Amino acid sequence: MSTRIIKALLKKDLKLFISDRFYSILTMVGLVFYIGMYFIMPATTDEKLNLAMYAPVMPAAFAQLTASDGAAVELFDTEEALKQSVEAGGYQAGVALPADILDIWEAGGQPTIRVYHNAAAPPEVSDAIITLVKELSYAQTGQVLTYETEEEILGTDLLGSPIPLRDRMRPLLAVFILLTETLSLASLIAIEIEQGTARAILTTPMRVMDLFLAKGILGVGLAMGQAVLFMALVGGFSQQPDAMLLTLFVGSLMVVGIGFLLASLTRDVMAVTGWGVLIMILLVIPGIGNIIPGLLSDWAKVIPSYYLTDTVSRITNYGAGIGDVWLNLVILAGFTVVVFGAGMLALRRRYL
Amino acid sequence: MNIRRIWTLIKTEILHGSKDVTLIMAVVVPVLLALFANLAFGNIFTDRGKLGIYDAGNSQLPVVIGTTESIIVKHYETEIDLKKAAGNGAVDMGIVLPADFDTTLAAGTVKLTAYIWGESLAKNRAIIPVALADAMRELTGAEVPVNIETVALGDESNLPWSSRLLPLTVLLAVFFGGLMIPASSLIHEKQKRTLEALNVTPATIGDIFWAKGIIGAFLAFIMALITLTISRGFGNAPLALLLVLALGAVMAAEVGLLAGAFIRDMNTLFATWKFGGLLLFGPALVFMFPQIPAWVGYIFPTFYLVKPVMDISVNGLGFGAVAVNTAILAAIVLLIGIFILNIARRLGTQALRLNS
Repeated sequence: MSTRIIKALLKKDLKLFISDRFYSILTMVGLVFYIGMYFIMPATTDEKLNLAMYAPVMPAAFAQLTASDGAAVELFDTEEALKQSVEAGGYQAGVALPADILDIWEAGGQPTIRVYHNAAAPPEVSDAIITLVKELSYAQTGQVLTYETEEEILGTDLLGSPIPLRDRMRPLLAVFILLTETLSLASLIAIEIEQGTARAILTTPMRVMDLFLAKGILGVGLAMGQAVLFMALVGGFSQQPDAMLLTLFVGSLMVVGIGFLLASLTRDVMAVTGWGVLIMILLVIPGIGNIIPGLLSDWAKVIPSYYLTDTVSRITNYGAGIGDVWLNLVILAGFTVVVFGAGMLALRRRYL
Repeated sequence: MNIRRIWTLIKTEILHGSKDVTLIMAVVVPVLLALFANLAFGNIFTDRGKLGIYDAGNSQLPVVIGTTESIIVKHYETEIDLKKAAGNGAVDMGIVLPADFDTTLAAGTVKLTAYIWGESLAKNRAIIPVALADAMRELTGAEVPVNIETVALGDESNLPWSSRLLPLTVLLAVFFGGLMIPASSLIHEKQKRTLEALNVTPATIGDIFWAKGIIGAFLAFIMALITLTISRGFGNAPLALLLVLALGAVMAAEVGLLAGAFIRDMNTLFATWKFGGLLLFGPALVFMFPQIPAWVGYIFPTFYLVKPVMDISVNGLGFGAVAVNTAILAAIVLLIGIFILNIARRLGTQALRLNS
């Protein structure tokens, strides 16, 4: 292994990468896009039902609603003011009670309660409010339902501190950034093979191992550099930074290995793009599972990137340390060794 | 037109045709856009609480609660499956209904086991038990003590953004695949001079057009179905929607064949796509921004594809309401088809000049 030769190769590859407009622009635009996308997504979660209420007389059962964990209730002085606020989108729905509600109930009648909702709001909102109002009315009129529930909370109880959508997306975006480098690295190698420069430089004192080492260092550097920059900007290092760095490093090694394998299986840059995008789509699937909990079945664990996204998610969103995610990292590292070795072997046999 | 030859050409195109960035973009872009629209503006990622039920007996409760719109109800075969679903967030809350649930409910106090997902939102933890109680009351025949009047405020045509983006998503799905695939395929054939090679076989230019058109239309149709599935936009008249999408897919393939016949290289195709995109996607802007006068949409041929799709999938209308626009769309498809047949016939005698 010659450090001087590897340095020279790295310099050349970096120049090649920068001069390839497609991949350098894709990298820059991609990074800006991912960071922008993170910040565009909602930073908070509407954990409570946002309700407006007009109640000239407040029945006891309805008063309890104002103290409920699940609803944020704002009282209004007039029904008109309530309507204006709901129409303006300040509240998901508004409930207006009649002034004689208690008298009507006392007389055995059925008062009319108006539920206002914004026309653009999803139908489940008004339906949920109607169900809620019915239940409160039952309670107010003494029709108590006798049922008991024995509750068990599964997983970490995040009541009061839910994970916002953008934080759920963070692992997916980080993995996307890493995976894009698979394409860049594979295309760099494909160009060398297409143009015959790989064979040409092997006639110099450089050995095959030096070539792979230089490509590997460049790939890991590009992938990890971007992922670290992204995570630093979106708060991905706020918890367990050492565990996160280690995960991104192993992830970068994995994408470089996949890049080697991809380059060995394809004929030209066009094919690298074609197959690369398909592989990317497959590897991105586990990340979608983080955004939509419960979407993926156990089969998703067959996809190696599952262990990367799951680890990133557990570290950033749940504060897991290396002790909690070591098994994921071992599986990821094992896959990386296999794919790295297979890629190097295939490239060596096919082209060098 | 020879069906056997067209089928051979289709097989050859699928197996050995160019599979470049255009194909990938045609498949990936519409799906990503549909996912993004739903991700950012709401359908897939609805806030609706999800209740899981494992019914050890044969209770009527799952049937009754299944009719509510305020929550999503899922059924599980075993308590283990239910617990797993509540553990991984597939449901916010999972309840186990004992075998004698209905009889106990009628007689006295029932006891339920509830598994709650730790990350479930407070509002879902509040709404689900209320919906459950409401369904139980319905089972016991309790009389509702109030009249509830619902009033929608604001412009009812003020659609949520996920619906406003639907036309763009559908148009992209239909036209990216339907237009770009036949067009780029024809251009590749011209550039690689394989069209000249085909000219010495019994296949006619018409057969080649048919084969490429069918592939483009098929891909466009499938992509439109996928994006509508992601957007959950099949409405109440799925058959009518399929008909409209099929016509739209054919129109896209026809435009693609025209582009492929007249455009010389891929750069020009992409340049044309940039300009022509405005004509194709113009109606999407009309739906996205209600401030634009509605009559503007009628100028664009693709409006007659988008309007029925919106009417069926967003406004819940049936075939009768979209029949006129669908008929206009069919007429446009027919007219372009006749035009293409003429071109194919004219080019049939001078196929080699396609390369000039």
